[in-house]
Amino acid sequence: MEKKRGEILVEDIIFMVLNIAFLAILVFFLINQGSGTSLIEDSYSKQVALLIDSAKPGMIMKVNFEKAREVSDESGRAFSDILLVKDNYVTVKLSEDSGKSYHFFNDINVSYYPDLNPGFEGFYTLTFSRKNGI
Amino acid sequence: MVYKKGEKLISVYWFTILVIVAVGIVLMVNSYYGNSYDVREVEAEILSEKVANCIYFGGKVHPLLLTPQGVFREDFRDNFMERCSLNFDVQSEFTPIPYYVGVQFLTFEDSRTFFKFSVGNNNYKSDCEIKLGGSEKLAKCVEKEFYMKTSSEKIYLVKILSIVGKTNENTN
Repeated sequence: MEKKRGEILVEDIIFMVLNIAFLAILVFFLINQGSGTSLIEDSYSKQVALLIDSAKPGMIMKVNFEKAREVSDESGRAFSDILLVKDNYVTVKLSEDSGKSYHFFNDINVSYYPDLNPGFEGFYTLTFSRKNGI
Repeated sequence: MVYKKGEKLISVYWFTILVIVAVGIVLMVNSYYGNSYDVREVEAEILSEKVANCIYFGGKVHPLLLTPQGVFREDFRDNFMERCSLNFDVQSEFTPIPYYVGVQFLTFEDSRTFFKFSVGNNNYKSDCEIKLGGSEKLAKCVEKEFYMKTSSEKIYLVKILSIVGKTNENTN
């Protein structure tokens, strides 16, 4: 079969479509892997635990949880429920059937709440005080 | 352009190559993202820093570490966790304590151990002596040392060894 100038065969189109589909699937896979719930929970729980470990009484920290908020919004979990600090464990839970915890050693009181100030949506505020209240 | 015999076969090869490349990328991405972030070394660093700041901060020795005569107090050793605001308690009684801290006070003149104490899980200490490649399954150790000058002008070398276990949380 002879191809004329400018003629595109159905086979060429199928070939291109399959190539584009292949690339699209690969890119989708890579993006999904990088923003996996488990990975985000793991990194946030460790980050917050390390921040608590290095905190001193009287400190106030604002932690950016925007990426976690995107995931929790998708899974329908309230932003105010994604972080839990209890019994020297930080737990980040972005959906009902997931969650990661990490232990911290600093014996300090931690208060935390989602920041509602304009420009800080998606942030959590952590405040630290001595355990005995001094 | 003329389509030759076997051209379709080339496109099959092309897709075979694509599949091989895809499998390679998937394996590489999985091995990268499948690993947890290993923060144990940073954690051990923070732990030793916290202990150091507790013992000696801003040129001042912890007020409960020495008696007015400059003698080390035994009750500092006994209440070290409370005095330095540390809490190693874990949720389950079957979970081993994931930390160890050892503190040694050596005399400046002859490097003799004058006073020492430790808290946490002693079993991790042996991990610090093993120096092998691919030792991510072992606990992470950080050693720190500094000089401490007391109010009675005595100088001690303080050595702190902090260890963090937590292998399951930080490796695959």
